[in-house]
Amino acid sequence: MRLVVFILFLLLSSTSLLAQADSLRNLQEVVITATRQERRLGNVAVPVTLIQQQQIRQAGSLRLRDILQEQSGLVMTSAFGVGVQMQGLNPEHTLILVDGQPLVGRTSGVLDLNRIALAGIKRIEIVKGPSSSLYGSEAMAGVINLITEAPGKKEISGSIRYGTGNPDKGWALPFASSGFQQVDADLQVGYQVGKWKFRHSNNYLYNDGISFRPFSTDRIPRPINRLTHQTTLLRPIGERTEFKLLLRANQDKIEQEFAVRNNGQIIESYGREKNTEWNIQPTVTYRASQRLALHSRGFFTRYVGDQRLFFVQKPDSSYLDRFEQHLYRFEQQLDWTIGRSEWIFGAGYQIDQARSTRYDALDNRKQNRVAYAFAQWEWKLNEKWISVAGMRYDDNQLFAAALTPKWSLRYKPNEKWSVQASVGQGFKAPDFRQLYLNFTNNAAGGYSVYGTQDAIRIINELNRLGQIAELQPDFSKLADLTPEYSTGTNLGVTYQPKQTITVRFNGFRNDIRSLIDVRQVATRIDGAQIFSYLNVKRAYTYGLESEFNWQFHSKWTMQTGYQWLRTGDKDELDRIKKGLEYTRAPDGSSRVMTLHEYVGLPNRSEHQAQFKLRYQPAEHRFVFLRLLYRSRWTIANSNGNGVHDVQDEYANGFLQINLSGGIPLRKNIQLQAGIENLLNYQDVNYLPNFPGRNIYMTLNFKL
Amino acid sequence: MRFQLLLLTSLVSFVACEKDKPTPTIDQRAYSVTTSGNVVTVRNLPGDTIIGVSAQGQPVGAGRYTFFSLESGQWIPNADSNSNRWDLAFAGTIVRVNNLTSGPGSGGGFVFNGSFESLTSVPVDSTFRLDNHPVSYAIPRGSGRAWYTYDGPTNLLTPIPGRTLVIRTANGQRAKVEILNYYRGGSTPSTSAADSIKIRDQRFFHFRYSKF
Repeated sequence: MRLVVFILFLLLSSTSLLAQADSLRNLQEVVITATRQERRLGNVAVPVTLIQQQQIRQAGSLRLRDILQEQSGLVMTSAFGVGVQMQGLNPEHTLILVDGQPLVGRTSGVLDLNRIALAGIKRIEIVKGPSSSLYGSEAMAGVINLITEAPGKKEISGSIRYGTGNPDKGWALPFASSGFQQVDADLQVGYQVGKWKFRHSNNYLYNDGISFRPFSTDRIPRPINRLTHQTTLLRPIGERTEFKLLLRANQDKIEQEFAVRNNGQIIESYGREKNTEWNIQPTVTYRASQRLALHSRGFFTRYVGDQRLFFVQKPDSSYLDRFEQHLYRFEQQLDWTIGRSEWIFGAGYQIDQARSTRYDALDNRKQNRVAYAFAQWEWKLNEKWISVAGMRYDDNQLFAAALTPKWSLRYKPNEKWSVQASVGQGFKAPDFRQLYLNFTNNAAGGYSVYGTQDAIRIINELNRLGQIAELQPDFSKLADLTPEYSTGTNLGVTYQPKQTITVRFNGFRNDIRSLIDVRQVATRIDGAQIFSYLNVKRAYTYGLESEFNWQFHSKWTMQTGYQWLRTGDKDELDRIKKGLEYTRAPDGSSRVMTLHEYVGLPNRSEHQAQFKLRYQPAEHRFVFLRLLYRSRWTIANSNGNGVHDVQDEYANGFLQINLSGGIPLRKNIQLQAGIENLLNYQDVNYLPNFPGRNIYMTLNFKL
Repeated sequence: MRFQLLLLTSLVSFVACEKDKPTPTIDQRAYSVTTSGNVVTVRNLPGDTIIGVSAQGQPVGAGRYTFFSLESGQWIPNADSNSNRWDLAFAGTIVRVNNLTSGPGSGGGFVFNGSFESLTSVPVDSTFRLDNHPVSYAIPRGSGRAWYTYDGPTNLLTPIPGRTLVIRTANGQRAKVEILNYYRGGSTPSTSAADSIKIRDQRFFHFRYSKF
């Protein structure tokens, strides 16, 4: 705390010159993700959040999770790494891009946001609402696009950061044995050689992890080394052509020895995990004229996740999990301006491959080919009306094709008001896990999960061998999976009475159909359950998001955000309305459940709110306070009725406070310090990736 | 979603369970029967509680049924298993009625979808099913099929609200039964409870019944 007071003192006593602080939301900023073309934020017809590098730095964010958790309407989930829930949809329904191309290597549909370093990222654009009409699969809830820093600017800059936390004792002492320590080092180099422009970004993060769970010395967050390298290269070829190349490589290494106490036994284990990822993204842009541009894009990416777990007392039951994914893509895009219309035509071909120990055999490579085409027509009728209509068609080798249209409209009657309306279709292709998973857990209870490509064959074979006690009714429904679809509607109003105030409301509704669910399809003779995947669920989410930004002084900016969210399963809702769902009275007896007891989909918070306040008297001198609140969410069904209701198990709502501040030490050196999770909020069971308070100090330099 | 999450912990518990063999004890202290009007509530009736773990890592009981008489409201000694004195027998998720392969009586049963209170008489078109041990039972086994759901990943069993068992007793009387809970003390452990607690406290039946 003394550190904070000290920083505040330095800041307040400073006599530095005034500097115009950036507004946290500026409608003049340019975004690219909403339309695949550069547009002013004030001219797009869909909800877009833009996070600039300055905000990322001032928040002290190192990984994508750090900055996304501070954004209105985004909720972090905890299973299989940290995922993002947008407009109430699961992490698997949000597409995450770097310079417009997807990141792969999801586990159970979740792309771990902690895997993604923010070093070398210039800005983050978040588009809410289905965007499959431009980006294809996964863009159901929306798209998060990380835009890399442009190459060429002569620069050597970097930072070094040390952080520490101690969940037991509260205020951490550096090097405390029971706490965790974190080191982050970052180096950015930009230069130009002849016509070649370069930028290299290097980042290293070390965290020695912490164990705060009962029954276990397993360190979560785990002891990890993360290394990220990114090179961007740009070369103009002649007057009209430009070649750009992005290379990105990332490696995570986790190694730890730990002991777990179970039934009075202590099991000593040794775990090793290595995740490697690289991608190459060459682009050639040819500008034939002001009105015509052609983009040729290649994209190759590879992700390997390798996990090993050794049991010291029982080495023969060691466990290996390996997952490899490749994506090869080639894409053409044509931008064409005719009068008031701007057209985009695109087509591409993609090969997606995966192999894993989770499937039948590691050597059997699974493959899907996708051919796709998209078109978008943006029509600027006059200064007030802009209409954007788009459509995309994805032809899949392994499952049904997907057609996803979208239409959005912006109406701006005057300088102060603007209305955005959009309706679109989103889809998510079944992933390899849902097609090919072949997994059996022999421990307590015991169960198996088979992907749909093999489930019928495997179960029939088991049945022939007399291993099946019973086929469930859902077995007869097993069929080839189809993509999941959603229809998303957004209606928003932006009010900007003056340059320093922006008020924004956005109402949204998503109707999701043929959602893939895990269902029990058979029972083995020993009672073990067999599961597979079916396109059976229908769900909805709707809500209201509001934002208020106010730069009330040349040095002070505040921002508040709030999201109200309701979700539900349509079949469950039908059953409740018909009086077919029951719940239990306090004495344990059954009674019919009422509609207002229904809470909808699990892991959804009805309220999410945030408050940010920034004081910035000079460019490198600031204090930035963020209050983030999430209301309670359901975890498990505890009364057996199969739907989530007010009697079920909840995780508590919580408030997270993050505070950071910076001062210039010399002309090119800035000292930054901060506290994440100031209140030291912890929830061992339901927030495993959320360790206690973290205090850090960073030295930034720029030559 | 949770399958792979549990993979690691389950593997760990698999290793742990093998050497773990507590001595067989049946906790009879908490068992109680109370009557309110014509509804009888039975609490903490053990039904083959867990005594150890099989070679396959499955928790197992001693294989002993607990016999109960709906007519007298009493726990019937195992020595009387081959008699008309009992109406329901409990062992894990198996609930047996006194007939055919289970006993000499004229018992039977079926599951009614609806609340205990709403069932005021035996529906006219209903058929009492019989046990055909070990293939099938009047009250079927299996998650979601009769009176309970079992969730493998969390290893918890929960009686389904709104499921009422309609039972024909050994002597041909009709009764309705609602199973309230499956764990010692009458409350299901939380999902985050240790597996050892979930195993130790399971197979304690809480139910209420009344005769038509």
